[in-house]
Amino acid sequence: MFNLTELENDALIEIFNIGVGQAASSMSAIVKEAVRMSVPSISFIPRTEAARLLGQADGVAERICGVSQRYRGAFDTEAILMFPEDKSLEIVRLMVGEAVPLKELTEMEQEAMCEIGNIMLNSCVGTLANIFQRELQGSLPQYHIGTSDEILTATGSQFNSVVLMLHIDFLLEKHQIHGYVAFVLDISALHDLKEQINLYIARAMGKV
Amino acid sequence: MTTTKTVLIVDDSRVSRMMARQYIAVLHADWIVEEAGTGEESLVKARHTTPDLILMDVNMPGMGGIAAAEQLRQEFPAVPISLLTANVQTATRERASAMGIGFVEKPITEARIAQLLATLEAV
Repeated sequence: MFNLTELENDALIEIFNIGVGQAASSMSAIVKEAVRMSVPSISFIPRTEAARLLGQADGVAERICGVSQRYRGAFDTEAILMFPEDKSLEIVRLMVGEAVPLKELTEMEQEAMCEIGNIMLNSCVGTLANIFQRELQGSLPQYHIGTSDEILTATGSQFNSVVLMLHIDFLLEKHQIHGYVAFVLDISALHDLKEQINLYIARAMGKV
Repeated sequence: MTTTKTVLIVDDSRVSRMMARQYIAVLHADWIVEEAGTGEESLVKARHTTPDLILMDVNMPGMGGIAAAEQLRQEFPAVPISLLTANVQTATRERASAMGIGFVEKPITEARIAQLLATLEAV
Protein backbone atom coordinates (compact mmCIF):
# COMPACT_ATOMS: atom_id res chain seq x y z
CA MET A 1 0.00 0.00 0.00
CA PHE A 2 1.29 3.45 -0.89
CA ASN A 3 0.73 6.26 1.59
CA LEU A 4 1.61 9.92 1.81
CA THR A 5 1.73 11.97 4.98
CA GLU A 6 -0.59 14.96 5.25
CA LEU A 7 2.29 17.32 4.44
CA GLU A 8 3.40 15.23 1.43
CA ASN A 9 -0.16 15.11 0.12
CA ASP A 10 -0.52 18.88 0.57
CA ALA A 11 2.75 19.47 -1.32
CA LEU A 12 1.72 17.09 -4.10
CA ILE A 13 -1.58 18.92 -4.62
CA GLU A 14 0.17 22.30 -4.56
CA ILE A 15 2.76 21.15 -7.13
CA PHE A 16 0.11 19.74 -9.45
CA ASN A 17 -1.99 22.87 -9.00
CA ILE A 18 0.90 24.92 -10.37
CA GLY A 19 1.43 22.45 -13.22
CA VAL A 20 -2.26 22.42 -14.11
CA GLY A 21 -2.35 26.21 -13.97
CA GLN A 22 0.35 26.28 -16.63
CA ALA A 23 -1.55 23.72 -18.70
CA ALA A 24 -4.71 25.86 -18.41
CA SER A 25 -2.79 28.88 -19.64
CA SER A 26 -1.53 26.84 -22.62
CA MET A 27 -5.03 25.51 -23.33
CA SER A 28 -6.39 29.05 -23.28
CA ALA A 29 -3.78 30.17 -25.83
CA ILE A 30 -4.66 27.16 -28.03
CA VAL A 31 -8.43 27.71 -28.09
CA LYS A 32 -8.18 31.52 -27.84
CA GLU A 33 -10.73 31.62 -25.04
CA ALA A 34 -10.66 31.97 -21.31
CA VAL A 35 -10.32 28.53 -19.77
CA ARG A 36 -11.14 27.80 -16.18
CA MET A 37 -9.92 24.60 -14.64
CA SER A 38 -11.20 23.06 -11.45
CA VAL A 39 -8.79 22.42 -8.61
CA PRO A 40 -7.37 19.00 -9.44
CA SER A 41 -8.55 16.13 -7.35
CA ILE A 42 -5.73 13.69 -6.83
CA SER A 43 -6.08 10.07 -5.87
CA PHE A 44 -4.01 6.91 -6.06
CA ILE A 45 -6.27 4.17 -7.33
CA PRO A 46 -6.03 0.86 -9.23
CA ARG A 47 -6.17 1.12 -13.00
CA THR A 48 -9.53 -0.59 -13.22
CA GLU A 49 -11.05 1.93 -10.82
CA ALA A 50 -9.46 4.83 -12.75
CA ALA A 51 -10.91 3.55 -16.00
CA ARG A 52 -14.35 3.33 -14.42
CA LEU A 53 -14.16 6.90 -13.09
CA LEU A 54 -12.78 8.40 -16.28
CA GLY A 55 -15.03 6.88 -18.84
CA GLN A 56 -18.55 6.82 -17.49
CA ALA A 57 -21.28 9.04 -18.86
CA ASP A 58 -24.68 8.15 -17.43
CA GLY A 59 -23.41 4.67 -16.61
CA VAL A 60 -22.31 3.98 -20.19
CA ALA A 61 -18.64 3.59 -21.17
CA GLU A 62 -17.82 6.78 -23.06
CA ARG A 63 -15.64 6.83 -26.20
CA ILE A 64 -12.55 8.88 -25.50
CA CYS A 65 -9.78 10.39 -27.56
CA GLY A 66 -6.48 10.30 -25.70
CA VAL A 67 -2.94 11.54 -26.17
CA SER A 68 -0.21 9.94 -24.11
CA GLN A 69 3.46 10.65 -23.53
CA ARG A 70 5.99 8.63 -21.57
CA TYR A 71 8.33 10.57 -19.27
CA ARG A 72 11.53 9.29 -17.72
CA GLY A 73 13.84 10.92 -15.19
CA ALA A 74 13.23 12.00 -11.61
CA PHE A 75 10.21 9.68 -11.73
CA ASP A 76 8.84 7.64 -14.62
CA THR A 77 5.25 8.14 -15.66
CA GLU A 78 2.82 7.82 -18.51
CA ALA A 79 0.84 11.06 -18.79
CA ILE A 80 -2.47 10.83 -20.63
CA LEU A 81 -4.74 13.66 -21.72
CA MET A 82 -8.30 12.56 -22.52
CA PHE A 83 -11.27 14.25 -24.09
CA PRO A 84 -14.66 12.86 -25.15
CA GLU A 85 -14.23 11.68 -28.74
CA ASP A 86 -17.12 13.82 -29.99
CA LYS A 87 -15.41 17.01 -28.75
CA SER A 88 -12.12 16.40 -30.50
CA LEU A 89 -12.99 18.06 -33.81
CA GLU A 90 -14.48 21.04 -31.97
CA ILE A 91 -11.21 21.53 -30.06
CA VAL A 92 -9.17 21.30 -33.26
CA ARG A 93 -11.48 23.86 -34.90
CA LEU A 94 -10.89 26.24 -31.99
CA MET A 95 -7.15 25.74 -32.42
CA VAL A 96 -6.80 26.36 -36.15
CA GLY A 97 -9.68 28.81 -36.65
CA GLU A 98 -12.52 28.98 -39.17
CA ALA A 99 -10.35 29.38 -42.28
CA VAL A 100 -9.51 25.68 -42.61
CA PRO A 101 -12.13 23.68 -44.60
CA LEU A 102 -13.90 20.83 -42.76
CA LYS A 103 -12.36 18.12 -44.96
CA GLU A 104 -8.84 19.33 -44.22
CA LEU A 105 -9.73 19.78 -40.55
CA THR A 106 -10.90 16.16 -40.34
CA GLU A 107 -7.72 14.96 -42.03
CA MET A 108 -5.53 16.77 -39.52
CA GLU A 109 -7.64 15.95 -36.44
CA GLN A 110 -5.35 13.25 -35.02
CA GLU A 111 -2.20 15.23 -35.66
CA ALA A 112 -3.70 18.37 -34.15
CA MET A 113 -4.87 16.49 -31.06
CA CYS A 114 -1.35 15.08 -30.68
CA GLU A 115 0.04 18.61 -30.76
CA ILE A 116 -2.53 19.85 -28.24
CA GLY A 117 -1.65 16.91 -25.97
CA ASN A 118 2.04 17.59 -26.48
CA ILE A 119 1.65 21.23 -25.46
CA MET A 120 -0.63 20.62 -22.49
CA LEU A 121 1.19 17.60 -21.06
CA ASN A 122 4.60 19.22 -21.47
CA SER A 123 3.31 22.41 -19.93
CA CYS A 124 2.16 20.50 -16.86
CA VAL A 125 5.01 17.97 -16.63
CA GLY A 126 7.65 20.57 -17.52
CA THR A 127 6.44 22.72 -14.65
CA LEU A 128 6.70 19.72 -12.29
CA ALA A 129 10.26 19.09 -13.53
CA ASN A 130 11.17 22.72 -12.88
CA ILE A 131 9.72 22.58 -9.37
CA PHE A 132 11.63 19.36 -8.66
CA GLN A 133 14.74 20.92 -10.25
CA ARG A 134 15.17 17.80 -12.32
CA GLU A 135 14.79 16.97 -16.00
CA LEU A 136 12.10 14.66 -17.39
CA GLN A 137 12.63 13.27 -20.88
CA GLY A 138 9.40 12.92 -22.82
CA SER A 139 8.56 10.62 -25.71
CA LEU A 140 6.66 11.67 -28.83
CA PRO A 141 2.88 11.92 -28.30
CA GLN A 142 0.72 8.90 -29.16
CA TYR A 143 -2.92 9.17 -30.20
CA HIS A 144 -5.56 6.71 -28.96
CA ILE A 145 -9.29 6.22 -29.44
CA GLY A 146 -11.44 3.93 -27.32
CA THR A 147 -12.91 3.55 -23.88
CA SER A 148 -10.81 4.79 -20.97
CA ASP A 149 -9.97 1.17 -20.08
CA GLU A 150 -8.78 0.47 -23.63
CA ILE A 151 -6.67 3.65 -23.61
CA LEU A 152 -5.10 2.87 -20.24
CA THR A 153 -4.30 -0.63 -21.53
CA ALA A 154 -2.90 0.70 -24.82
CA THR A 155 -0.55 3.01 -22.95
CA GLY A 156 1.05 -0.01 -21.33
CA SER A 157 -0.33 0.15 -17.82
CA GLN A 158 -0.78 -3.24 -16.21
CA PHE A 159 -4.10 -4.49 -14.88
CA ASN A 160 -2.93 -3.95 -11.31
CA SER A 161 -1.06 -0.65 -11.91
CA VAL A 162 -1.64 2.28 -9.62
CA VAL A 163 -2.89 5.40 -11.32
CA LEU A 164 -2.19 8.80 -9.88
CA MET A 165 -5.37 10.29 -11.20
CA LEU A 166 -5.67 13.97 -11.69
CA HIS A 167 -9.17 14.89 -12.70
CA ILE A 168 -9.61 18.31 -14.26
CA ASP A 169 -12.70 19.98 -15.66
CA PHE A 170 -12.02 22.34 -18.52
CA LEU A 171 -14.57 25.09 -18.60
CA LEU A 172 -14.65 27.21 -21.74
CA GLU A 173 -16.96 30.18 -21.88
CA LYS A 174 -18.69 29.08 -25.09
CA HIS A 175 -17.89 25.38 -25.17
CA GLN A 176 -18.61 22.94 -22.39
CA ILE A 177 -15.66 20.61 -22.73
CA HIS A 178 -14.55 18.22 -20.05
CA GLY A 179 -11.03 16.90 -20.13
CA TYR A 180 -9.06 14.59 -17.91
CA VAL A 181 -5.40 14.12 -17.20
CA ALA A 182 -4.12 10.89 -15.68
CA PHE A 183 -0.63 9.94 -14.61
CA VAL A 184 0.14 6.25 -14.46
CA LEU A 185 2.98 5.27 -12.13
CA ASP A 186 4.12 1.91 -10.91
CA ILE A 187 5.11 1.37 -7.27
CA SER A 188 8.78 2.11 -7.93
CA ALA A 189 7.90 5.38 -9.66
CA LEU A 190 5.54 6.35 -6.84
CA HIS A 191 8.42 6.04 -4.38
CA ASP A 192 10.62 8.16 -6.66
CA LEU A 193 7.87 10.78 -6.78
CA LYS A 194 7.56 10.70 -3.00
CA GLU A 195 11.31 11.28 -2.74
CA GLN A 196 11.05 14.32 -5.02
CA ILE A 197 8.15 15.68 -2.95
CA ASN A 198 10.23 15.37 0.21
CA LEU A 199 13.17 17.15 -1.42
CA TYR A 200 10.75 19.92 -2.42
CA ILE A 201 9.45 20.16 1.15
CA ALA A 202 13.01 20.23 2.50
CA ARG A 203 13.90 23.06 0.10
CA ALA A 204 10.74 24.93 1.10
CA MET A 205 11.80 24.64 4.75
CA GLY A 206 15.34 25.77 3.95
CA LYS A 207 16.82 22.41 4.92
CA VAL A 208 18.63 21.84 1.58
CA MET B 1 10.39 49.15 -44.82
CA THR B 2 12.07 45.79 -44.55
CA THR B 3 13.47 43.53 -47.22
CA THR B 4 12.00 40.11 -47.90
CA LYS B 5 13.25 37.47 -45.51
CA THR B 6 13.17 33.70 -45.46
CA VAL B 7 12.02 31.87 -42.33
CA LEU B 8 12.57 28.13 -41.92
CA ILE B 9 10.00 26.42 -39.65
CA VAL B 10 11.13 23.03 -38.34
CA ASP B 11 8.38 21.05 -36.63
CA ASP B 12 7.08 17.50 -36.99
CA SER B 13 3.54 18.81 -36.42
CA ARG B 14 1.92 19.89 -39.68
CA VAL B 15 -0.62 21.90 -37.70
CA SER B 16 2.10 23.85 -35.90
CA ARG B 17 3.88 24.57 -39.19
CA MET B 18 0.59 25.70 -40.68
CA MET B 19 -0.15 28.04 -37.77
CA ALA B 20 3.34 29.54 -37.75
CA ARG B 21 3.15 30.07 -41.51
CA GLN B 22 -0.26 31.72 -41.17
CA TYR B 23 0.96 34.18 -38.50
CA ILE B 24 4.11 35.04 -40.48
CA ALA B 25 1.93 35.73 -43.54
CA VAL B 26 -0.29 38.06 -41.49
CA LEU B 27 2.73 40.02 -40.28
CA HIS B 28 4.84 39.89 -43.45
CA ALA B 29 2.91 38.69 -46.48
CA ASP B 30 6.00 39.03 -48.70
CA TRP B 31 8.31 36.91 -46.56
CA ILE B 32 9.20 33.41 -47.73
CA VAL B 33 8.39 30.52 -45.41
CA GLU B 34 10.14 27.17 -45.79
CA GLU B 35 9.16 24.08 -43.81
CA ALA B 36 10.93 20.96 -42.55
CA GLY B 37 9.32 18.09 -40.62
CA THR B 38 12.50 16.71 -39.02
CA GLY B 39 15.91 17.89 -37.87
CA GLU B 40 17.55 16.00 -40.72
CA GLU B 41 15.29 17.69 -43.26
CA SER B 42 16.06 21.10 -41.75
CA LEU B 43 19.77 20.66 -42.50
CA VAL B 44 19.02 19.96 -46.17
CA LYS B 45 16.50 22.83 -46.41
CA ALA B 46 18.83 25.32 -44.74
CA ARG B 47 21.65 24.50 -47.17
CA HIS B 48 19.33 25.12 -50.13
CA THR B 49 17.37 28.15 -48.92
CA THR B 50 19.84 30.06 -46.67
CA PRO B 51 17.17 31.23 -44.21
CA ASP B 52 17.33 34.48 -42.24
CA LEU B 53 15.68 32.87 -39.21
CA ILE B 54 15.16 29.27 -38.08
CA LEU B 55 12.33 28.26 -35.73
CA MET B 56 13.04 24.83 -34.26
CA ASP B 57 10.80 22.40 -32.38
CA VAL B 58 12.64 20.17 -29.86
CA ASN B 59 10.77 16.90 -29.53
CA MET B 60 10.82 15.38 -33.04
CA PRO B 61 11.52 11.95 -34.50
CA GLY B 62 15.09 11.31 -35.63
CA MET B 63 17.93 13.56 -34.51
CA GLY B 64 15.60 15.98 -32.66
CA GLY B 65 15.66 19.75 -32.50
CA ILE B 66 18.58 20.30 -30.12
CA ALA B 67 21.01 18.23 -32.22
CA ALA B 68 19.76 19.88 -35.42
CA ALA B 69 20.11 23.35 -33.91
CA GLU B 70 23.67 22.56 -32.80
CA GLN B 71 24.61 21.51 -36.32
CA LEU B 72 22.85 24.49 -37.91
CA ARG B 73 24.58 26.84 -35.45
CA GLN B 74 27.96 25.52 -36.67
CA GLU B 75 27.06 25.69 -40.36
CA PHE B 76 25.23 29.03 -40.22
CA PRO B 77 26.71 30.94 -37.27
CA ALA B 78 25.15 34.27 -38.36
CA VAL B 79 21.59 32.96 -38.71
CA PRO B 80 19.40 33.44 -35.62
CA ILE B 81 17.85 30.22 -34.37
CA SER B 82 15.09 29.96 -31.79
CA LEU B 83 13.57 26.93 -30.17
CA LEU B 84 9.78 27.02 -30.45
CA THR B 85 8.74 24.20 -28.18
CA ALA B 86 6.26 22.76 -25.71
CA ASN B 87 9.22 21.66 -23.58
CA VAL B 88 9.15 24.43 -20.96
CA GLN B 89 11.72 22.84 -18.68
CA THR B 90 14.50 24.98 -17.26
CA ALA B 91 17.03 22.41 -18.53
CA THR B 92 15.89 23.08 -22.12
CA ARG B 93 16.01 26.87 -21.66
CA GLU B 94 19.51 26.58 -20.22
CA ARG B 95 20.60 24.38 -23.13
CA ALA B 96 19.30 26.98 -25.60
CA SER B 97 21.06 29.76 -23.72
CA ALA B 98 24.35 27.83 -23.68
CA MET B 99 24.06 27.32 -27.44
CA GLY B 100 23.38 31.01 -28.01
CA ILE B 101 19.92 30.43 -29.45
CA GLY B 102 16.51 31.78 -28.48
CA PHE B 103 13.69 30.07 -26.63
CA VAL B 104 9.96 30.63 -27.08
CA GLU B 105 7.38 28.31 -25.63
CA LYS B 106 4.35 26.86 -27.40
CA PRO B 107 1.49 27.17 -28.11
CA ILE B 108 2.20 29.19 -31.21
CA THR B 109 0.42 32.54 -31.10
CA GLU B 110 0.62 35.61 -33.29
CA ALA B 111 2.24 37.55 -30.43
CA ARG B 112 4.97 34.94 -30.02
CA ILE B 113 5.66 34.82 -33.75
CA ALA B 114 5.75 38.63 -33.82
CA GLN B 115 8.28 38.55 -31.00
CA LEU B 116 10.48 36.15 -33.00
CA LEU B 117 10.22 38.12 -36.24
CA ALA B 118 10.95 41.44 -34.52
CA THR B 119 14.65 40.65 -34.47
CA LEU B 120 14.69 40.61 -38.28
CA GLU B 121 12.41 43.56 -38.93
CA ALA B 122 15.03 46.19 -38.15
CA VAL B 123 17.64 44.56 -40.42
